[in-house]
Amino acid sequence: MAHVAEFDAKAAWDGGQSPFRVSYGKMMMWFFLVSDALTFGGLLVSYGFIRHKYAEVWPKAENVFTHFPFIEQHLPLAYVGLMTFILIMSSVTMVLAVEAGHRMDRRGVTVWMFWTIVGGAMFVGSQAWEWYHFIVGTHVGGPEGHGGAWRNVWDQAVNNGAGGYVKQVYHGATMAVNEYGVPQFANYFFFITGFHGFHVFSGVIINLTIFLNVLKGTYEKRGHYEMIEKVGLYWHFVDLVWVFVFTFFYLL
Amino acid sequence: MSEFHDDYPHYETMYNHDEAHGKKARRTLWNVFWIMLAITIFELIIGSMAPGHGWTGALWLKVLFIGLTVVKAAAIVLWFMHLGHEVKFFKYIILLPYITFILYAVFIILVEGVYSGYPRNVTRVDQIFIDQQKELKNGHHGGGDAHATEAAHSEEHH
Repeated sequence: MAHVAEFDAKAAWDGGQSPFRVSYGKMMMWFFLVSDALTFGGLLVSYGFIRHKYAEVWPKAENVFTHFPFIEQHLPLAYVGLMTFILIMSSVTMVLAVEAGHRMDRRGVTVWMFWTIVGGAMFVGSQAWEWYHFIVGTHVGGPEGHGGAWRNVWDQAVNNGAGGYVKQVYHGATMAVNEYGVPQFANYFFFITGFHGFHVFSGVIINLTIFLNVLKGTYEKRGHYEMIEKVGLYWHFVDLVWVFVFTFFYLL
Repeated sequence: MSEFHDDYPHYETMYNHDEAHGKKARRTLWNVFWIMLAITIFELIIGSMAPGHGWTGALWLKVLFIGLTVVKAAAIVLWFMHLGHEVKFFKYIILLPYITFILYAVFIILVEGVYSGYPRNVTRVDQIFIDQQKELKNGHHGGGDAHATEAAHSEEHH
């Protein structure tokens, strides 16, 4: 890029300009993303450690996530593949909105931002659907189905009325029991995909706010669409995290 | 058009470009997208074939998946987030802390992961837990946990 080539790296530190050639807002967005990436990195490292520790009893994702909406068939990983596609697609529409912003093309920004928001909302909805099926579980449940959970429930009727713990087949997964295998799998699934899903949800809200500003003409008046670039950075980061979550949770 | 009335450099408009350049930029972005889509579809095909071929958990499969993930991550950061277009110094300010963290994480997970696997470092609770889970997996009823004796009667209960 021409403007970068003109840049004199030595004089850059003499003051009066940013040595990084970026605006304050964009730099701070990057710094925030680095810190957020460290948080996700820490979570994934912890996941890897626990998974390695309980490797022999860890459930396999292709046995857990086998549902697809409206199709009553065993389709392992198909739905998460679709979710990944939706998120990558919305990342592309976002970067096209950024590019349109660089050309001061208000109509282009509006259209691409709109599709980004649609994609984000679809992803959040898909995640809710995935959670629902994971929590409800299968008809079989318990050990006969997936080698998963019994739970001990107090029953007053056993032991000739003295009461005692009775083992019950458990369906689905919570923080304490998981029909598919060790409860730690469910804990990490809920925490990491939940944390990521919350990021996507916030991203949709932020994108929506900026979208309304685009409609109002705020950035047209301001003379640049850098705000699109900043929310774009956040949105791509959310996609970036999903790439890792997808690999570590579903593929490996 | 612009709100600026000072001499300070305005980086906000630095990357603005004309239609001709925009066309080139869009072509690059779509190419990146197709590559990422191809990688994802390839991963899914390999991932769903793995159980049938007994590849699950194989080292080469793990290395392949992590390698492809890093390729996708690099594509997002360099092209979608435009980090490839930033000044070199800024690039390293963002990437070096994270690369350092990754290297540390790999180091610590290898060292501590191996350490926690030594028999003398597996706690009694861990062992009880693993045994219990294995038992559940194999479908054997009873035994393993504290309430096993009370639960022995429950066999005919369901």
